[in-house]
Amino acid sequence: MTTRVPAGLLVVFLALPVGFLVVQAFAGRAMTDAIASPAVRDALVLSLLTTTVSLAIIVALGTPLALLLARGRFPGRALVETVVDLPIVLPPSVAGLALLLVFGSRGALGGALEVAGISIPFTTLAVVLAQVFVAAPFFVRAARAGLANVDRQLEDAARDLGAGERQVARHVTLPLAAPALTAGLVLCWSRALGEFGATIMFAGNVPGRTQTLPLVVYGEFQAGDLEASIAAAAILILAAFGVLLAVRTLNWRRALDLRAGG
Amino acid sequence: MTRRVPALALVLALVACATTPSPPEPVELTVYAAASLRNALEQVEAAYEIAAPGINLVIATDSSAALRTQIEQGAPADVFLSADLGNPQQLYDAGLADGEITIFAGNTVVLIVPFDTPAAIRTPADLARDVRIVAAGDEVPISKYVSNVVYVLARLAGYAADFSSAYAANVVSREDNVQAIVAKIELGEGDAAFVYQTDALASGSVRTVPIPDEANVQANYAGVVIATSAHPEAARAFLHWLTGPDGRAILAELGFLPPS
Repeated sequence: MTTRVPAGLLVVFLALPVGFLVVQAFAGRAMTDAIASPAVRDALVLSLLTTTVSLAIIVALGTPLALLLARGRFPGRALVETVVDLPIVLPPSVAGLALLLVFGSRGALGGALEVAGISIPFTTLAVVLAQVFVAAPFFVRAARAGLANVDRQLEDAARDLGAGERQVARHVTLPLAAPALTAGLVLCWSRALGEFGATIMFAGNVPGRTQTLPLVVYGEFQAGDLEASIAAAAILILAAFGVLLAVRTLNWRRALDLRAGG
Repeated sequence: MTRRVPALALVLALVACATTPSPPEPVELTVYAAASLRNALEQVEAAYEIAAPGINLVIATDSSAALRTQIEQGAPADVFLSADLGNPQQLYDAGLADGEITIFAGNTVVLIVPFDTPAAIRTPADLARDVRIVAAGDEVPISKYVSNVVYVLARLAGYAADFSSAYAANVVSREDNVQAIVAKIELGEGDAAFVYQTDALASGSVRTVPIPDEANVQANYAGVVIATSAHPEAARAFLHWLTGPDGRAILAELGFLPPS
């Protein structure tokens, strides 16, 4: 009884604001109006497009890094792990400012990039870089843990049976780590989808080009259009809620599989 | 030989496609504009895209100072429309402007309160009482105008001797731009705020409290073409149109004054 009251209070405190916002969005015509408004629609498309590209980059570069961190022994490993984890605890505005100081037109690499005819800040590419920067650690962490838990003896067994390294990875390592990789991917996607601070600092807030859904929530609020702001926020809440629920269901299924197998 | 024929046909077809006159690519003009211009620019965009076919305006609004910083950091803006002269002047001084700074509109400051105001503010003098005032950050252009207004008000008959300091002490929040101030008053998160006349007119849920004429000031809006613009001709044409009769008419309808 004594534990239930404070526990319940916290759950209500966490659930009430998001629940009320979603109810508010669907109670009036806010949602239907917002879906029809070009600002929200463009932002939805841009959010889906940029997070897809970011995710592809993160998986392509993050999987080898996770494998290295899970298996490799090399000097400076603790430092690499800390650097990889850093964006999780950094305020996103710091990430945005740092990205601007490196890739901005007056930044460390900005001059060289400009000579090559590439201008990154305040473009859609900047949105992607901001998302990769803040979201990659979520995938790398989960993937590293998942890969570290794969039983090496199973891989050796496959090798003894004549499998090449590629086949081992494809048929043994990756399937065994799949639940962790999927969970990491999904968390990483929702972090990228919700990315705001680094984006507004490094990519600005231009409709159709850099204005993703979280920026619509801010921009429309600033502009006094509360309805559009609420609708965009509700879409983000539902997406995040769905993602977390999916992760839970995946893990639950896996637990069932293990029990059936064991 | 027979294999080469279809290949040749393909090449010819591609060449034909390349030389067939196609409608010109629409020119995308990116306009960075002060937040207080947002409503006006929605109408300007609709009117200008009819007046200048082939031009697609992309409008991003925020505080003039934030936009100026973004442009300095390489944001690909074609035109910058600021709520003051200072921010465009800084771009001009840094060599980031292409051509002259053009004043295209004016505005005045008004005092707004929520429709059902519990604090019952009848004159600006009431701002010295126990009320919650929402203001803009120091770097936002309106702050300069408001401090002028407050300075003059404090010297008028009927105003408390410590009006300026009482006003400053009552400020509960400082926003990034004027639209955000209006939003806070609409939500009842503040009892009063100085905003531009145009913002007050655009909002359906605030009341305006008159300011004595002798205390008011005219804010000037100035625009400039950005030096790095990929379409300087089109950018200049847009700025020219905005200061011409069609642009003026739209701005006047929304409560903007002619430039002084």
